Amino acid sequence: MSNIDEQNIIKGIVAGDEAVFKAFYKKNRKYIRQYVLKNSGNEDDVEDVFQDAFVFVYQKLKAGSLELRSPLSTYFYGVSKNIWRNRLRKNRRLVVTEELSDTTEIIEASIVKEIEDREREHVYRKHFVNLSGACRQVLQLLFEGRSMKEIAEITGYAEGYTRKKKFECKKHLIEMIEQDPIYQELKTTSENK
Amino acid sequence: MERTPEIFEKIERYLTNRLSPEELVDFENEIANNPKLQSEIETHKTLHNTLSDQETLLVKEKLIKVSKEVKKEESSFVKSIFSSPLKIAATIIMLLGISAFLWNTLDSTEELRDLYVAHYTPFPAEDITRGQANTTLQNIMDHYNKGAYEKVITTLEKNTNLIDQNELSVYLGISYLNTSQEQKAILQFERVSEKNRHHEASRWYLSLTYLKLNDTQRTIKILEEIIKYNGVYKNNAARLLRALNE
Repeated sequence: MSNIDEQNIIKGIVAGDEAVFKAFYKKNRKYIRQYVLKNSGNEDDVEDVFQDAFVFVYQKLKAGSLELRSPLSTYFYGVSKNIWRNRLRKNRRLVVTEELSDTTEIIEASIVKEIEDREREHVYRKHFVNLSGACRQVLQLLFEGRSMKEIAEITGYAEGYTRKKKFECKKHLIEMIEQDPIYQELKTTSENK
Repeated sequence: MERTPEIFEKIERYLTNRLSPEELVDFENEIANNPKLQSEIETHKTLHNTLSDQETLLVKEKLIKVSKEVKKEESSFVKSIFSSPLKIAATIIMLLGISAFLWNTLDSTEELRDLYVAHYTPFPAEDITRGQANTTLQNIMDHYNKGAYEKVITTLEKNTNLIDQNELSVYLGISYLNTSQEQKAILQFERVSEKNRHHEASRWYLSLTYLKLNDTQRTIKILEEIIKYNGVYKNNAARLLRALNE
């Protein structure tokens, strides 16, 4: 792929262009799938790894802190592999079979550390997007820093009900996060340090 | 530690520096002596920091949508092939007989998709709200800039008068294009008149829409018109036409 094509893909990802997301997903998912399935993962793991690696790459591109020395896809495979290896290691599930063919992107040690640090964030986002629409709206406004009065005005709920809803949604979200196996592994690892 | 509305409110006020000096001293003493409260505060802090980044959340949501769409496309493709015994037989014969053709077609579909991705860039948003106190218009352009195309569509479909008043068809068309509603995108690009300042841009995006639909014949026809028009999209059109003819 030419440099211009690569630049357009990068621009499309940064701009949040769904068509580019789709093309990137279709083109790269098979490689991630192959790697994760060969290394004790299942289809859900494939989706999680793909999404978390994509979000990681998006954030780096958006911040302008990604200096690519290889094609974007190769870097993306490198990030995906590291995410999956971390999860396997924490889970002590299995030894990784090195497979992802000739994609030898070397991910710097600092990036490997960053990937590990972001694990908790992935878990938080994963459960947030699974909340009901009403819960997401209330919590999103809360995280934006809006007051209960403002949230009540925007949602059309009474202020008392808004407080109750906010508490219930947030509590439910935290409970879902705490039940997530990745979160539990992260917690155990940090307690053992 | 039992989770109550009161403790959540206090943690939220603590994290947003809204506790009074007296409350702050008391709460900090409580935190120092209660490891479970420390851990709870840490959870809330990460929650607020992570989830206040709405752009990243939007990316995650789009990916989930894309993943569902791709899986649906794949399963409807398989279903359409294996929906009856007769079709199975026909499919086997077809696969045996014209497998080379099928693979070529699949390859070329992939190539067209790559061409689309390589040539598509979002139409830059203009400051069309300058000097106007129209917050709806401002919201539309903010959503467009953030790539929140579904929000652009919802708002414009509710405020159709704004489309013609402010020449927004091209923005609506692009929003449809990015949410896999190509036929609606075509209608929007087609309705941009020759007098409209976005006419050439709308022809360019119309050609890309047909490319996305694998309709190379229509794509080429429009690209030739753009080249003939000799405007700002001429070079883009010529490059894409060359790639299609290769």
